[in-house]
Amino acid sequence: MTPTRKKRLTMVLLILLGVGVAAAIAMTALQENLLYFLSPSEVAEQKMPAGKQFRLGGLVKDGSVNRATDSLKIRFLVTDGLKEVEINYDDILPDLFREGQGIIAIGSLDNNGVFQADEVLAKHDEEYMAPEVADALEKAGHPRGNKASTDSVPSEYKP
Amino acid sequence: MSAFISLLKRDLLLAVRSRAEALQPIFFLLVVVSLFPLGLGPGPALLAKVAVGVIWIAALLASTLSLDKLFHADFEDGSLEQFLTSGHSLSSLALAKIIAHWLSTGLPIVLLSPLLAIWLNLPHEALPVLVKSLLLGTPIFSLIGAIGAALTVGLRQGGQLLALLIFPLLIPVLILATGAVSAATHNLESTAYLLWMAAYAVLMLTLAPFACAASLRISLS
Amino acid sequence: MNPVMKFLHKTGSPAYFYWLSGRMIPWLWVIFAVLTTWGMYQAFFVAPTDYQQGESYRIIYIHVPAAWMSMMIYLMMAIFGAIGLIWRIRIAEILAISSAPIGAAFALIALISGAVWGKPTWGAYWVWDARLTSQLVLFFLYLGVMGLHSAIDEPRKAARAAALLALVGVVNLPIIHYSVEWWNTLHQGTTIKFTGGSKMPNSMLFPLLLMAASTKFYYGAALLTRARNRLLEQDRRRGWVAKSIREQRL
Repeated sequence: MTPTRKKRLTMVLLILLGVGVAAAIAMTALQENLLYFLSPSEVAEQKMPAGKQFRLGGLVKDGSVNRATDSLKIRFLVTDGLKEVEINYDDILPDLFREGQGIIAIGSLDNNGVFQADEVLAKHDEEYMAPEVADALEKAGHPRGNKASTDSVPSEYKP
Repeated sequence: MSAFISLLKRDLLLAVRSRAEALQPIFFLLVVVSLFPLGLGPGPALLAKVAVGVIWIAALLASTLSLDKLFHADFEDGSLEQFLTSGHSLSSLALAKIIAHWLSTGLPIVLLSPLLAIWLNLPHEALPVLVKSLLLGTPIFSLIGAIGAALTVGLRQGGQLLALLIFPLLIPVLILATGAVSAATHNLESTAYLLWMAAYAVLMLTLAPFACAASLRISLS
Repeated sequence: MNPVMKFLHKTGSPAYFYWLSGRMIPWLWVIFAVLTTWGMYQAFFVAPTDYQQGESYRIIYIHVPAAWMSMMIYLMMAIFGAIGLIWRIRIAEILAISSAPIGAAFALIALISGAVWGKPTWGAYWVWDARLTSQLVLFFLYLGVMGLHSAIDEPRKAARAAALLALVGVVNLPIIHYSVEWWNTLHQGTTIKFTGGSKMPNSMLFPLLLMAASTKFYYGAALLTRARNRLLEQDRRRGWVAKSIREQRL
């Protein structure tokens, strides 16, 4: 083998090695759940220990929102059609928070099994829903949420 | 290989000898970060919330500031032409310069980050993740930034143009790093973010030196 | 020489390219005009009103083709750039850099029409939605390529540098796209929406396909026009230009 060829071969091998290592790390990363997102049914199944932080997602149950009159404290139920989890929250809610809305809350369960949320995120319009929420709803046999399922413009065409 | 080592040594020696210049990005970082509490108010809760973003954006700006000069001196005194005609692999020489840049700019940023975290009231449990994310992310700044620096070497308004070229490319680093740290502040697992950053860093380590060498060839033609 | 290289070298000769593109451009404009008129007519007069979004959904007939084009043109720019860099074919370099302003314009149209559509749909002109953010980054990438090209005085060097940057951008584009989607999921609790929930009725889809086709012809026509001008400007002192003028082919 000529020196130039040898050089080229090492170069190609180095590139392959680098890309291979990057791919291997990416594969490991795929194993890890990036979001730690659980539905109310999964919370009931997995018996999350109190104090362990995770993300909880589902729909705000109609008629379950209970606001304190003198503070920001709010209590509501989040449902995936099968199970419900009670959420306590004591901060400003996003503007789009409504009953029947899909939300994601970050926080942990307390000793009574009530979810104490540090942060509540709302999806930002009727047609939007996190795929995890949608999947969880579907798994639970819930007809896919609200109006969005009969929406005549497929979601990929939304801006 | 010996050319690689001697270039690395030379660049590090230059950085050590011209300390004032080499420390500029670090002072810049400190000044930029200290502006945020002054601009946003000293409320600890607010600062804790924006801390990751502020530190990362300041690190991005500081790295870019020094990247602008990465090939400048070598271009001015003709060393770059010599590298090109020396017969040594240009990509390995570019890699030596990138590593020297990271050691003189990226590493000090990583070492300073605990101080910045205290200033901005970042929760303690997030600090290890912040340091890890900076360890993985600042090399990507140097690697991708070097491509931009090679493309803009010798141009008049190089600095602003460099920022325009590389900032969009560095968005993934910013997103993954702030994602990792904010997951850690919520006591959530941040391994996945860090793994993705590692994968990205390895990929760029593989490809950037070649892109950088090709850019230098174009710039010097 | 294999057929591919033969084709590249033949179309890569400036005189041949100039002649061929000159023949193609009028046809491309005509097809573009016909398709656009037809598509716009279908979009505004034939396609039914959406029962939920009302008339405002019709912006998709501008917005979606523009967004598609902005992505496709970036890819084309990188492909032309790669051909130019690997085989050193000047026409490919010119095609690459001539693509940039067209792609940037499409990206800008997609951004503006997205904002206009966002107002009735989301209640705000700008929402940091994954798709809009990706589009914005794409626009910035175009600005970078154009900025680099205009900063270098020597045309050949400028085109090669811009082509290389486009290639670097194309490698990073998927990574940027996915990271923006994660970021969006993280901060707003939303991500990709329902997929396969419902189909678009054909009467709504047809104008969209017409517009998607028409924008491709616009790209072809605008690209060749720009490339011709750039080529002529660069080669104004070269022999083939004088020869073409003598033979009245210009």
